[in-house]
Amino acid sequence: MSDFARQQADFQRGILTGDDTVLAEIQDSPREKRETLYGVYRYAYGSRLVEAMRNDHELLHRYLGDEMFDEMGHAYVKARPSEHPNLRWFSQGLPEFLKTAAPYCNHPELSDLAALEKALNDAFDAAEGAVLELAAMAAFAPEAWPDLKFGPHPTAARLDLSTNAATIWLALKNDETPPDAAALEQPSRLLVWREGVTPMFRELLTEEAMMWDEAANGIPFGVLCEMLATYDDPDGAAARGAGYLHGWITSGILTAVSAE
Amino acid sequence: MNVASRLPHSPAAARAERPVESAKPPFLGFGLGLRAQHYDEILGGNPPIDWFEVISENYMLPGGQPLRTLDRICERYPVVMHGVSLSIASTAPPNFEYLQGLKNLAKRVEPKWVSDHLCWTGVHGKNLHDLLPIPYTNEALDHVVRRVQLVQDFLGRAIVLENVSTYIQFNNSEMTEWEFLSELSRRSGCWLLFDVNNVYVSAFNHGYDPMTFLNGIPADRVVQFHMAGHSHMGTHIIDTHDHPVCEDVWDLYVAAIKRFGRVSTMIERDDNIPPLDELLLEVNRTREIAERVLPQAGKPAG
Repeated sequence: MSDFARQQADFQRGILTGDDTVLAEIQDSPREKRETLYGVYRYAYGSRLVEAMRNDHELLHRYLGDEMFDEMGHAYVKARPSEHPNLRWFSQGLPEFLKTAAPYCNHPELSDLAALEKALNDAFDAAEGAVLELAAMAAFAPEAWPDLKFGPHPTAARLDLSTNAATIWLALKNDETPPDAAALEQPSRLLVWREGVTPMFRELLTEEAMMWDEAANGIPFGVLCEMLATYDDPDGAAARGAGYLHGWITSGILTAVSAE
Repeated sequence: MNVASRLPHSPAAARAERPVESAKPPFLGFGLGLRAQHYDEILGGNPPIDWFEVISENYMLPGGQPLRTLDRICERYPVVMHGVSLSIASTAPPNFEYLQGLKNLAKRVEPKWVSDHLCWTGVHGKNLHDLLPIPYTNEALDHVVRRVQLVQDFLGRAIVLENVSTYIQFNNSEMTEWEFLSELSRRSGCWLLFDVNNVYVSAFNHGYDPMTFLNGIPADRVVQFHMAGHSHMGTHIIDTHDHPVCEDVWDLYVAAIKRFGRVSTMIERDDNIPPLDELLLEVNRTREIAERVLPQAGKPAG
C-alpha cells in the first residue's frame, strides 16, 4: 500500500470509528488544535448523513421528533456506512435496518413508515415510461382478451404493511395527530406510483392486490380472471377483473399491453 | 504506484502525462447554482441569470421531476455540471459505474464544462460524502495527474477542478496547495475552478495570506469562480454555504478579477436557501464589480 493510500485509510478510519492514529500526521493550526480541526470532519460526516435521512424521511422525522430521529439516524449511519457515491441512495436500507435493529424492531410501524416513504421517494425519480391509454384496449377483439398481458409502469411498486403505518402517514402529512400504532390482522396492501411528477399510493383490496402481483409477473388476463373466480364469486370474476384493469389504466400505472 | 510514476522519464510516463487538448471553456457571464427551491420561479419567470451550475449527482437519477426540470432549464440557459463524488484524489480504484453515469448525464445536458473538486470522498468501498483533504506530496500529485488523465479520457473532455475548503494540513506536504493545483493543471490539462470563498476559508484556517494563494495560481488556467458564504467559529472557519458572501470574500473577488480577468462567476448557496430575489442581488453584485474592475467584462461571449 502506498503512503498516500495508507494515510487515506487512517483518515477515513478516524472518521468512521473515532480512531486517532491519523492525528499524528496532522498539524495544529496557528489558532487551533488538530483534534478540533479534524473534529470538523468527524462531526460533518454524521450530521450530513442524518440530514440527508431527514430529507428522505420527513414524516418519520416528524413522527419520532428531532432527538429520537437523530439518535436513530446516527445508529443507522454507524451500522450501514454509505457505499454509493450518490447520497440519494444512502437511506435505501433504512426500512430493513428498522425491521431488524433493536430497539426499533420492537415498533414495527417505524419500518413500515420508512418503507412507505422510501417507496414514494423511489416513485418520484423512477424511470419514465409510456402510459397505456384506454383507447389502446379497443384495438383488441373480445376473443383476444384472455391472452392479453400487461406491463406495469416503471414507477409502480407494491408494498405490504403489517401495521397501520399508512394511516399514520396520512395523519402526519395533514399535520394531524397520528393514531396509536397498531398491528393489522391482514396486511395493508399498497400500490405506489407516480402521476405526472407526484408520487401517489392507494390501498388495494386483497383480491386486486393478488391480481396485480400476478399481472405484473406476466400472467395473461384469462388466467387472472380464473384466479379471481377461485377467490370470490365466480360469475362476477371477469367483470371484477375488467373493473380492476380499468382502474389501473385510468390511474396510469400500466405501460403496455400485448396479445401473445 | 504504477510503473510510469517510478520511471518519470520513460515513454510511458510521457504518454501518461499528455495533457488533453481542449479549447478553453467560454466566458458565460454571471450565474447561480440551480436549487430545487427555485425551479418554479425560474421556469415561471425569466430571471436575469446568465447561466446555471447544477449538482451532477442530483440528476444522476432514473427519471422524474428533477430530470424533466433540468431539460427545461437546459433549453433556456447555458448549464455547467458540478459534481461532488468524483473523488479524483482517492487511492481507491476508479468507479467506472459513476463515471458512466456522469458521462450519460453530460450527453443529455451538453454542459459547457464538467467540474468537481480536488479531494477524495472515501476508500475501501465507503463514501463519506465529504470533500476530504489531501497531503500536497509528489506522490499524491503523480496519482491525481494520472487519475485526471483517466477521467478525461473516459469522459472525452478536459475537466475542471475546484480548490476545496480545508480544516487541516498534513505534516508530510512537500508543496503548497497552489503549487499542487498549478502543477496538476499544467501536467493533466485540467482547468481550474477558483473558489474565492474556499481560498479565504483555507487561508484563515492555515494562517497564510489568501493573496499568496491567488498569486500562485496561473492566470490562464482559471475558467470559473465560486462565491459563497461560510460560518466563522473564531479559531477556524467552516465552509457551510449557508450565509451571504461576506465583505472580505467580495474584496478577494476584486483581486481575483484583477489577476484572472473575465471569468465565469456564480453564487453557490447550499443551505438556508433564501428566495431567488435575494440571491439575484448577489449575482448582480458579481456582475457590477466585474464591470467596474474590468470594463466590458460583463458581457458573455456569443
